[in-house]
Amino acid sequence: MGHKPQHFLTSVEAGASTHNSEGKKMYKTSRRPSAIAVGVVALALTATACGAGDKSSPKAASGGSAGSGGERVGVTVYDMSSFITQGQEGMNAFAKANGIKLLWNSASNDVSTQASQIEQLINQKVGAIAIVPVQADSLSPQLQAAKAAKIPVVAVNTTLKDTAAITSSVLPDDVAAGAQEMTMMAKKLGGKGNIVILQGPLASSPELDRTKGIMSVLAKYPNIKVLAKDTANWKRDQAVNKVKNWISSFGGKLNGIVSENDDMGLGAVQAFKEAKVKLPVVGIDGIQDGLAAVKNGDFIGSSLQHGRVEMATGLAVAQMIIKGEPVKKSYTYVMPPITPQNVDQYMANVVTNKDAFLKRLPELVAKNLKSGDIANEK
Amino acid sequence: MSTEQSTTTAKLPLPTEAAARDRWNRARVEELLIRNSMVLVLLLVIAYFSYKSARFATVPNLRTILIAAAPFALVAFGQTLVILTGGIDLSVGSVIAVSAMTGAKLVVGHPGRLWIAVAAAVGVGLLVGLINGLIISRLNVAPFVATLGMLTAASGFAYVIGHGAPINGLPQEYGKIANTTILGLQAPVLVMIAGFVILAAVMKKTAFGLRIYAVGGNRTAAEVAGVNTRRTLTSVYVLSGALAGISGVILSSRVISGPPNLGQGYELDAIAAVVIGGASLLGGRGTIWGTLLGLLLIQTLNNGLDILVVPAYWQAVISGILIVSAVAVDMWATNRSTS
Repeated sequence: MGHKPQHFLTSVEAGASTHNSEGKKMYKTSRRPSAIAVGVVALALTATACGAGDKSSPKAASGGSAGSGGERVGVTVYDMSSFITQGQEGMNAFAKANGIKLLWNSASNDVSTQASQIEQLINQKVGAIAIVPVQADSLSPQLQAAKAAKIPVVAVNTTLKDTAAITSSVLPDDVAAGAQEMTMMAKKLGGKGNIVILQGPLASSPELDRTKGIMSVLAKYPNIKVLAKDTANWKRDQAVNKVKNWISSFGGKLNGIVSENDDMGLGAVQAFKEAKVKLPVVGIDGIQDGLAAVKNGDFIGSSLQHGRVEMATGLAVAQMIIKGEPVKKSYTYVMPPITPQNVDQYMANVVTNKDAFLKRLPELVAKNLKSGDIANEK
Repeated sequence: MSTEQSTTTAKLPLPTEAAARDRWNRARVEELLIRNSMVLVLLLVIAYFSYKSARFATVPNLRTILIAAAPFALVAFGQTLVILTGGIDLSVGSVIAVSAMTGAKLVVGHPGRLWIAVAAAVGVGLLVGLINGLIISRLNVAPFVATLGMLTAASGFAYVIGHGAPINGLPQEYGKIANTTILGLQAPVLVMIAGFVILAAVMKKTAFGLRIYAVGGNRTAAEVAGVNTRRTLTSVYVLSGALAGISGVILSSRVISGPPNLGQGYELDAIAAVVIGGASLLGGRGTIWGTLLGLLLIQTLNNGLDILVVPAYWQAVISGILIVSAVAVDMWATNRSTS
């Protein structure tokens, strides 16, 4: 596909303008003399915010207009998490290869920020909007407004409750991911033993779905007992203390740990090291340290939720809609299982050789959308 | 009720010498118990968990409690000094994050220069503390406002360092800092003990400690008495920042990763520990020993409730109630002993 290096930048432009408006707001508060220090803090904040823009910009020259295609796609993400950072790389690669201009926004985990970002994108008359929602049951008025303005919306990663107002969605199957990791553990234990489950933030949708998947598999294994299940809020440092406490509580009775993400699983591995025991651990996500843990045997496995593939697919679907091509109402994918046998390939795609992967990503995404296997990385 | 008790003691005619000695002993024991009410609460909690589970009162579990308490203890000790001056440091949670991210970033870039990474991480904490201190002492910005601003700014900066993402792939050597064991105790536990001994001594025995109490008791009076209150105020925030920096290194080294949301909410846990320990948020009253008791109470609860497999939401309810009751008992006991 074409070489248009300028295209990379588009996203950073949008980010910088957000920071500017933030800065302005804070200048206003500093007018009062008593608030000089607040102003100083605000200035520092603005400075760091600008720094953020500068730091992420080296890949980007100043972005010109699109050249060929020239579709403008607005993007708003819940926050700049590691998953989203990967996803941004994937989207940028796809946009560059297809001459799409991205207008990038991050909502800092705030529903109302995301709502106003969507309103702005509607005002800018973008061709389509890709949303990675802060919260599933939100944004209904904005979605209706987009619909009225005939701007198609694609939900990525998390669905939106107002499904009638969105054109399509690209979603991981979290229930299947939970079932997959529990199946790995059940096989490892030979269908018999005692486990504990580390859950995501209670009542968040991935936690509910992954727990549901785990429980559905457990129903088939009456000889596997859950000694305890509790949340460590996706965090390694919380998980390590939680698991140490469980080791105190259950001692030798414990046979394995099912963690709903890699980070908490890695906390469990650390707890085992401190307690000088070695038990099977399984995670989900396929982050760098999780892949390394599968490779060195600390994890029995994980499941890959690859931000680059998922979010590039979201953009590809948006592009198809703009072009008037037929799309499915929803693209759901099962995360590929990561095992000691296939971990090297994913390690290359996610970490060690990601630039090569990004190069072939646009074609891969197009191919996957045709075959329907959208998580395929071969 | 308390006044009734003390007045009767004072007014009652003394029938015999033996009875008087008895009464005197009883009053003394009572006072001793009242003064150490937090020790009693902690012992009761420990007794309860020991009774409910044979797996609670064991040496490995004691180690588990101590290693969980360590990073949190340093932050709480720093917070104690700040609260003694009548201030508050809300920024420590973010300082942990920004220090950990600094250390992680440097150690990934230069795996051989472990100690430079550690020094830089602690240095960043110290620097943030210095900025807090100067804003508060020189510009007279309320500590709540200044450190709230810093909480936001430093958290943002932690994300800037990681380009919005956690830092993965840290060298295993970085993990050795927190995972080295000396005399059966992990290094962070020893750091906690050292921090406790040094700070407790400083607060009790040195002029610096006395100045902190003086500034918190009455800033104007302290100034009149010749205390450089600005310098004293600045120094407590510097100490708080540096201790949070060390805590950040310990936390990130233990799990060998640099997440930009590390330490989130630690400021509130630290404040809770200080307050449970009997400190007044108005300043001038509180001790490092009290804070140690407060944080051990919180950590013992976290550990014991996990051992009894109490669900997380109930744990939150129980912890919240116990924190308020512990402080209520302390207030009641203090009123009783002073009236």
